[in-house]
Amino acid sequence: MAFLAPLFLAGLAALVVPILVHLTHKERKDVVVFPSLMFLTRIPYQAVRRQRIRNWLLFAARCLALILLAVAFSRPFLTRAVANVPVRGLGPRELVILLDRSYSMGYGDRWTRAVSAARGAITGLGSNDRASLIVFDGTAAAATEPTADRAILTTALDRVKPSAGITRYEPAFKLAQRVLAESNLPRREVLLISDFQRLGWDGRDSPSLPAGTTINKVDLADAKTSNVAVTGVDFRRDYAEDRERVAITARLVNRSSEPKTGQSVTLELNGRAVETKQVNMAANAAATVDFAAAPLPSGTTRGVIRAADDALPRDNAFFFAISRGQALSVLVIDGREGGAPRSLYVERALAIGDQPNFRVTTKRLGSVTSSDLAGRSLVLLNDSDLPAGDLGRRLVEYVQNGGGLLVALGDRSAPRDRPSYASDLLPATADALVDRSPDRGGTLGYIDRSHPIFELFSAPRSGDFSTPRFFRYRSITPSPGDEQLARFDDGHIALLERKVGRGRVLVFTSSFDGIWNDLPLQPVFLPVAHQLAKYAAAYADERPWSIVGQVANLPSIFRDSTGPARAADQAEYVAVAPSGERTRLEGTARRSVELAEQGFYELQRAGSRAEPRIVAVNVDLAESDLTAVEPQLLTGAMVARAGADSASSAVEASTPADLERRQGFWWYLLAAVLLLLVGETLLSNQLSRRIAVPR
Amino acid sequence: MSGNALPGMQFLDPAVLARIGNLELVARTVVEGFLGGLHRSPHLGTSVDFAEHRPYMPGDDIRRIDWRLYGRVDRYYIKEYEADTNTNFNVLLDVSKSMSFGSGAATKMDYARTLAACLAYFSNQQRDRVGLITWDEDIVEIVPPSAKHLPNVLHALARAAPQRTGNIERVFRKLNEQFKRRSMLLVISDFYEDPRKIVDAFAQLRGRGNDIMAMHILDTAELEFPYDGATSFEDMETGERIPVIPEYLRDQYRTMIRAHVAEIERLCGDQGVDYWLFDTSMPLDYALFAFLSRRQFLTRIR
Repeated sequence: MAFLAPLFLAGLAALVVPILVHLTHKERKDVVVFPSLMFLTRIPYQAVRRQRIRNWLLFAARCLALILLAVAFSRPFLTRAVANVPVRGLGPRELVILLDRSYSMGYGDRWTRAVSAARGAITGLGSNDRASLIVFDGTAAAATEPTADRAILTTALDRVKPSAGITRYEPAFKLAQRVLAESNLPRREVLLISDFQRLGWDGRDSPSLPAGTTINKVDLADAKTSNVAVTGVDFRRDYAEDRERVAITARLVNRSSEPKTGQSVTLELNGRAVETKQVNMAANAAATVDFAAAPLPSGTTRGVIRAADDALPRDNAFFFAISRGQALSVLVIDGREGGAPRSLYVERALAIGDQPNFRVTTKRLGSVTSSDLAGRSLVLLNDSDLPAGDLGRRLVEYVQNGGGLLVALGDRSAPRDRPSYASDLLPATADALVDRSPDRGGTLGYIDRSHPIFELFSAPRSGDFSTPRFFRYRSITPSPGDEQLARFDDGHIALLERKVGRGRVLVFTSSFDGIWNDLPLQPVFLPVAHQLAKYAAAYADERPWSIVGQVANLPSIFRDSTGPARAADQAEYVAVAPSGERTRLEGTARRSVELAEQGFYELQRAGSRAEPRIVAVNVDLAESDLTAVEPQLLTGAMVARAGADSASSAVEASTPADLERRQGFWWYLLAAVLLLLVGETLLSNQLSRRIAVPR
Repeated sequence: MSGNALPGMQFLDPAVLARIGNLELVARTVVEGFLGGLHRSPHLGTSVDFAEHRPYMPGDDIRRIDWRLYGRVDRYYIKEYEADTNTNFNVLLDVSKSMSFGSGAATKMDYARTLAACLAYFSNQQRDRVGLITWDEDIVEIVPPSAKHLPNVLHALARAAPQRTGNIERVFRKLNEQFKRRSMLLVISDFYEDPRKIVDAFAQLRGRGNDIMAMHILDTAELEFPYDGATSFEDMETGERIPVIPEYLRDQYRTMIRAHVAEIERLCGDQGVDYWLFDTSMPLDYALFAFLSRRQFLTRIR
């Protein structure tokens, strides 16, 4: 509430008058003649003179009349913020109940209180009022259309449950805006029931509610919260005697001002508790828990990290799915026997890192057999001739079936002696070398940074490709369909990609041995070697978990290993949610499923008996930060925007009647003053009559 | 005041009686109306009844000798009648200025005047000798007791006007010399005096064999103190003024006036003085009942 003429409030100083009047016992001029004062004179004089307020009712009436009079003259009017208080009796209203169902509403008894508040709002609807229920988390959905039927609203409310989503206010207010804009009722009201998490509002949302809309809020935030969340896991794989083991490290955070001691954390693999550990956490601090390495069984392993339950159980469990085979098996063919091995740099580069883990086997060309190709993700022909005979044909089949082939052309890879099938794998190569020794070596003049291999280096200062010097390389002639990924500064091709069947062939026209260039000596060599190997082997990073709200594209999940890509695109799928809800995805339009629940999704081709693909889904941990924004800031911003909008469209929104209604409050105050004065007159007359003065 | 129980009793309302100027008419109206309502009690005095014989003493009127008895026993006996035993009935009316106070239609003086007239009339009907003494700080007027002095008493009552302060102690000391013969003394006053002094004054008369009845007349306003609003109170007799906030004093005043009345009543009881408190809003029949009950009691024990 504000005042148009606040100076009139100075009239409140007149309150001194009734106070003095009621404290001062004014002696009447007429004297009471009494038979004898023998008793009155015996009463102590102090009792007669004690100053006390007399006639409290009359005093209160006079003071209240003065206060109301001063307030009325100062012309009070309702501001938008205060207008949040619903004003009854001004016509039917359009009420939009915005019910926050993000998973933080599962904290303590927030959800119970939220439902109770919504039910109270529904019960309080007038006979001509309309209401609609909008539930929101990261998205907003109308649980009901605007209706005056309380039974419909109550039924819809009973069906709503807290979700696994996060809080965002903008979609909810936008939906409310649409509902209110379509309403023809004179009063528009929004009831926001939420825990007012800070993450849900970034201060830039602009819902722009219709003018005259009032926002009421039910703040469910707790003054003090305590919450422990499992924020993620790390995997360290190791291979011992061909057995793959994984050591898991869980990360936890304590989001409370109190330290946590003896917090138990359990690792479950495939539904069985493997190990439980205790951890102490300082206030508002993170901690890690290392679990012992465990052998990974075949197939996909479902893992869960569970912290002991607290007031918000959703973020106490962290789901992940891991499987074997994440190591890339690489066969390095290092030329023919007799020469010096030239794979030292590349072997060392691939030995570093575990995402993925490269298992490198180096062999001389003469010792390679067809069985060596089995199970390989990548074959690296490092400055070597192409194998001839049966091994050569198997190599072509290997590539056509999806295997990766990386070829580094050095002085030992003589183009003349290539077998006949070579043209299927490699582009035509000139015998003559390009020798850049006289001009101190060439550099890379062009790199396709949009290609997956070089995408990693697309950011500024990500990989310096200007320093490697290339002294010799081979000139190749690309065939149609070949893709040039990098060129030297003289225009010769440095890196070329050719797709052969389902496999990929990468041709590097220089060597990895540090003789034709100094690339292995440059910092950029390690990531380039990894990127080349991973791309050629069509390696895709495993995603052990997804976040609620993400979308799983099923063809991409099933494409890489099961038949032709077209088959994956045309297949039908079945998705089973953690809650057991089964969804059948038919037709080309429905190729993806939204991951809306926390837990393990099972994805499978329709009719297939194969083991389903497991997708672990976790809640967005941003929601586990229960810090609340000041509700007035949020609602005030919405109201302010609504006010700004109304100002911009003042012609239709700020009608004279509306303005008068907002400022006409003083009439009621004056009426109250009048009533009070009438009451004061009656009361004082009655009191005067009580003063019996005998003659 | 609430309505009266008996038919015709509305005439005993002090406010109505105060508007009647003729005091005799008032007294007759009250007494006869009252007695008519009672259908005449058979226990009331029979003043011509034979009482006893006593031997002739020199100086006795020879006309009162019972000659028939002389004829039988040859001795002189005097025949005495009940009427000869009637006593003097004196009203001692306080006419100090405080008696002029009244918050209603009738003042305390009006009430006391009417009450005295009624009781005097009644006593005269009983063939008592009635007298009146009005007093304030001194004796104002004396009407000696006589069976023929009822008009004088009524006239004196009508003339009585409160003017001065009261002093019961000095007046009653004087009156002690006034009553040579045992009398029934009816004291009517508002008794604004120390209870001990009042009873001491009674004790002097009581010691000479007088039968004393005290009627304490107070206005309703004196008992309830219904005033409100800060004002000055002036003493009617002394003219002294004090500022008073009645609402703060009311409870204390009521406590004190009740204690005063209770103390007078207690001390009167100790002295064998009959005491009644009359609120001027009370009908006069209450006073008549009190008086008659007392007379009946005396008749029985005589």
